[in-house]
Amino acid sequence: MTLPSLAPTRVDRARALIYRYGLLALLLGLILFFAFTEPAFPTVRNILVILQSVAITAIIALGVTVSLTVAGFDLSVGSIVSFVVMLTAAVQVYWDLGPVVAVVAGLVAGALIGLLNGVLIVVARIPDLLATLGTMFTFAGLALVLTAGQSVSAGATYNGAPAPGRISEGFLWLGRGNVLGVPVPVIVMILLGIVMTVLLSRSRPGRLLAAIGGNPEAARLAGVHVGRYKILAYVVSGTLAAIGGVLLAARLGRGDVGAGGDLLLETVAAALIGFAVLGANRANGFGTIIGAIFVGVLLNGLTMKNVPYYLQDFIKGAILVGALVLSFSAIFRRKDQ
Amino acid sequence: MSEQHTPDGSGAPVPVLSAHRVIQDFGSTRALAGVDFGVSAGEIVGLAGANGAGKSTLIGILSGALTPTAGELRVDGVPVSFDDPEDAARAGIATVQQDVDAALVPTLTVAENLVLDRIARRSSAAGSLGAFPSRRAIRRAAADVLGDLDLDLDAEVSRLRTSDKQQLLIARALHRGARVLFLDEPTAALSIGEQQHLHDRVRALAAAGTAIVYITHHLGELVAICSRVVTLRDGVVAGEFVRPLDREAIVTSMLGALAARQVATRSGAAAGDPRLRATGVRTRADRPALDLEVRPGEVLGITGPLGAGKSELLRQFAGADPLLSGALEFDGAAFLPRHPADAARVGIGFVAEDRRQTSEFPDWDIAGNIAIGDLRGVRRGPLLSARRERSRAAEAIDRLRIVASGPRARLTSLSGGNRQKVIVARWLVAGSRLLVLDEPFRGVDLGARADLAALLRSGAAGAAIVAASDPEEILEVADRILVLVEGRIVAEVRPADVDAAALSALMLAVPETS
Repeated sequence: MTLPSLAPTRVDRARALIYRYGLLALLLGLILFFAFTEPAFPTVRNILVILQSVAITAIIALGVTVSLTVAGFDLSVGSIVSFVVMLTAAVQVYWDLGPVVAVVAGLVAGALIGLLNGVLIVVARIPDLLATLGTMFTFAGLALVLTAGQSVSAGATYNGAPAPGRISEGFLWLGRGNVLGVPVPVIVMILLGIVMTVLLSRSRPGRLLAAIGGNPEAARLAGVHVGRYKILAYVVSGTLAAIGGVLLAARLGRGDVGAGGDLLLETVAAALIGFAVLGANRANGFGTIIGAIFVGVLLNGLTMKNVPYYLQDFIKGAILVGALVLSFSAIFRRKDQ
Repeated sequence: MSEQHTPDGSGAPVPVLSAHRVIQDFGSTRALAGVDFGVSAGEIVGLAGANGAGKSTLIGILSGALTPTAGELRVDGVPVSFDDPEDAARAGIATVQQDVDAALVPTLTVAENLVLDRIARRSSAAGSLGAFPSRRAIRRAAADVLGDLDLDLDAEVSRLRTSDKQQLLIARALHRGARVLFLDEPTAALSIGEQQHLHDRVRALAAAGTAIVYITHHLGELVAICSRVVTLRDGVVAGEFVRPLDREAIVTSMLGALAARQVATRSGAAAGDPRLRATGVRTRADRPALDLEVRPGEVLGITGPLGAGKSELLRQFAGADPLLSGALEFDGAAFLPRHPADAARVGIGFVAEDRRQTSEFPDWDIAGNIAIGDLRGVRRGPLLSARRERSRAAEAIDRLRIVASGPRARLTSLSGGNRQKVIVARWLVAGSRLLVLDEPFRGVDLGARADLAALLRSGAAGAAIVAASDPEEILEVADRILVLVEGRIVAEVRPADVDAAALSALMLAVPETS
């Protein structure tokens, strides 16, 4: 009898629930649907396959999350991956310096490219999108220059002679090995996911990055060194992309020209889908991981259902649009909180 | 046109534009209660009055922005009515607003801005420069508009000085046939040299026959360039003065008998180290050096008209802008903030003008907005504790009587006054030793204002510097008041010795220039 007066609050509450838990509920629904219709889906093996397929994307997407947190945008992550893949392969195959030097060189390169991005944005005052668009092209190009446009694998020709080195077993383990049955990239993804989520949401630097993203002038007047922290954000983004690059090189087992080129859109999609997780409406580490897994689950399940591969990009795009509507549209937003 | 005008005199020319017994009501408030006003060709008429006297309303009516409740407007003695400012412009009445940038396209050249209306015209319309106007055609048309004015036609407008932008607007208005020119606080953003430049130009225009109405807060300017001054008070003409102009008489007519109560008592020397002492600081490089100090527990009010330099001063104290000159001391130690972080470190909490743009994190909750001032204080181990953030916010909500559903409420769900309290609380919980607040009561309701004033006076914030151009606000909050005019401290008073009208009068004072 009091339905008319209760109705609006029920609608409000339903909206708030959808806003907060909509994407997670959808993910759970998808998993249940595939689990009940495809017997091969809910196996430990398949779950690890899904996680393995999204691990590198998710790690790089964590970097994109950091740049989004300062209201920036790092378009260069895909190129950093390409460059790091070629660099780590070249260090081992062309110059025979071993896997440790290769990993260190890759990570340092990623951090330095991030530093360059940060300096271009903060010191040269180039808008984020344009600065990273510039470095995106530059380092995609430099990845080719590094090896004269050739893919790098053991026995490749270098300076007219067979290259002296090869990609070591230890390095390959990073991409192909596993610990207690769990692939190494998945372990790295989980660890970095936890670390970045905690750092972004519960550490002082993380909060300062969020403040810069929320209102840079207010952050400055509250005593935040905005420039320094922005540069830090891009260094972290570049470093995470480099970690993704090292893992990708290890999985491929060679320096593959063109590796990483398609990762930019995938990672941006994961980070943006993450906006809708738990109603955060801002970039967040946990959401980004969920976003990447969401895409992985859907593609895996649909592949089992014999949905043709050429529908994949379309499906990813549709999920992204849906998630963006969920987090940005006023329909689901509560006025308070 | 150098002889005195007596507009009511029988031999006087018919005014170009005049208002007769004009009344303007806004709801139940009567803003103008029967005003007669006129301006003749070749005159510079100064229009003066305290805030709320009806100046803006009268200008609005004369320039077509407002339609009067009653009364009549005449152009050349013929009754008219204006539907909108465009209507008034066609009758030859132009206004150059204080905000010159609003009327210009910054990325275009001087020439393009001068003939913007003709470029925009359809190519079939009269005066159009065609669908593809050539640079030459634009320059030629623009040179025509510019007349004898010395401006580089090819300069980009964004690079011009404010006074040059004003010249550009004036030239554009005159070229469209303006015979009456309203200049609304034209010198508020000008340096002294630029002011001189503008005054020369205005005199030249008047000599050439343009009727000019000059609105300003600065008595010195009125005396310097006006041939006649009309003062408004409480919606009626309070007085009319012709050369030689008598400052005292003008102030008295604007403010009534209260103006006579001008008091400027220097307060006694302070005991103990001041919280902040500034020596030889300036509001702008071309303004004089000044000294001030604020003692522990004291609330120092700084008031003055727009453009006095209040914000410029406060921003330097808070490290938001670099210190132009002089030196600062904080609790007796030399202090040179290069970044707001330096100020925050010693315990200065700064709330800038325009809180929404400069202080708020609108998407965050109250707890987050408060904690950002002192994240180290809510840490537990290496990480931030959400519980500590919330409990600190809950304390602040109690202490400042913030009306909100709780620490997790989004900032944007609060009213202006409560949002301001949250921002002040940000610095209070950080243990501020000096709060620096720029126009903290704008958009803040009276209840919240009283709460904030009481808080500041309780000494909980250590000490405070509050800038506000509204005398009422500054009287409510300050223990001691500095009146700043054009970067100069013209008076130091205690609230007990003055009232709002007397403070307004002090703001009209003209600093001795030498």
